[in-house]
Amino acid sequence: MSRKGVGLAAFDRSRLTSAQYASHGSNLRTTNAAALETQLSVFRSLLQQFAQTHAKDIRSNPTFRAQFARMCAAIGVDPLASSNTQSSSAGGSSIWAQLLGRSVNDFYFELAVKVVEVCGETRGENGGLIEVRKVREEIMRRRMEGASEITEDDILRAVATLEPLGSAYSVIKVGSKPYIRSVPKELNTDQSAVLEAVQVLGYVSVSMLMVNLRWARARAQTALEDLVGEGMLWVDKHSDEWEYWSPGFMLESQELGGGSGSGVMPG
Amino acid sequence: MLSSAQQQHQQPFSFPREYFFPPFFTRQTNLTTHHAQLVKWSALVLAYCRHHRIFKLFLSYSGAVAPIYSSSTTPSKTPTDQQDPSEPGELFNNRKINRRLSLADIREVIDFLRKDGRAEYIYKSNGTTTTNMDTTAAPPPDGGGDVVWIFWRTPEEWAAVIEAWVEETGQRGSVLTLYELTQGEATRGTEFHGLDSDLLQKALATVVKRGKAQIFGQEDSQGVKFF
Repeated sequence: MSRKGVGLAAFDRSRLTSAQYASHGSNLRTTNAAALETQLSVFRSLLQQFAQTHAKDIRSNPTFRAQFARMCAAIGVDPLASSNTQSSSAGGSSIWAQLLGRSVNDFYFELAVKVVEVCGETRGENGGLIEVRKVREEIMRRRMEGASEITEDDILRAVATLEPLGSAYSVIKVGSKPYIRSVPKELNTDQSAVLEAVQVLGYVSVSMLMVNLRWARARAQTALEDLVGEGMLWVDKHSDEWEYWSPGFMLESQELGGGSGSGVMPG
Repeated sequence: MLSSAQQQHQQPFSFPREYFFPPFFTRQTNLTTHHAQLVKWSALVLAYCRHHRIFKLFLSYSGAVAPIYSSSTTPSKTPTDQQDPSEPGELFNNRKINRRLSLADIREVIDFLRKDGRAEYIYKSNGTTTTNMDTTAAPPPDGGGDVVWIFWRTPEEWAAVIEAWVEETGQRGSVLTLYELTQGEATRGTEFHGLDSDLLQKALATVVKRGKAQIFGQEDSQGVKFF
């Protein structure tokens, strides 16, 4: 019985223990917090330092930029997403924007503007569907000598920055190649198949589709006419059978035409 | 001997990418695409004519399109020192890809340019001669085709260039012959050196209309005075 007889002192003891636990716990918490805070401040200053020292590299060196973006993704930081929330944060700009000196997201915003320009200017000739590679070529072509290199990866990220604007810009895959679509228009599977086939030679014809995709004539004809109707293919009636060309091929034919401009006239 | 302007057109014209795109030579059925096509053709025609300093184009039924170089009243220029070999019709006929623009489609391009004030029919083969104020009518084309002004600079723009030069050289108030304006030593190196004489007339007419100049003299010995 006496063993059980804990009495009132037991209450005191248990209160004491729990108080000790509590204080120990809060001790641990504060040390943890302090340690985290130090880590965070170290990390912050290092990241800031890094962004400052390498701001130029981030802007000018595509490999470096890609690595940086990958690193940010690995540690759960999205320099782009952070800038999108900037309106909601009190300071007017996000912590990452402050840390990174805005150089990273500014880079992508500027690029996004150029992407929109290219898409807008070429929409008449391609119906609002353009290969990412072409956009890149076009942007590079317009830049001045010595301007820094940009990659397709950069362009994809830039297009992603447009998303919060609720714009119609999106990236779709046709075959294995990424395209930027700047009109809100879905392609059906037949149309996608045709566009994929066009990638091979730059053009297709009804009979080519019939042979290669085993389509009936009507089906091939319909798919092609639909795409012409969308402004996504150009028709060449001077050949034996009408050929349907991808306007994207227009940007390539320069190399094809190469020195022909100079060959025409005697010097 | 050659002015800088002339030396420029020793360089071959570099055609834009669409020139090597076969469907570019077929009238596109989609309206938006067709508009994009017309915009590209117009830009090409203007750039080509500017490069070769072509002022008039001759569109014949045969589909051959010949640029017309400076008129006969320019003795310093014989046809041989023009870059005549710029194969007539090269502009609308790409032999590399064996595609040519049909006459109907060419006319559509010209109409598109006209709406923009960048072209004007001098002679249209369907019977009507569009007479504007140029009195020196174009030679009736033998093949029965169209002759078109291509204004890579409009008469107003040419007038402005000439007026600026007159101002710059302090010749306001003095009489200049039309011949010396386009063929004289003094204007060598200026843009309007070698300007088509009919086009010069058109340009000066715009200045006269504004009351800023006066033209004197006879047919072949005309002079102009800027005030």
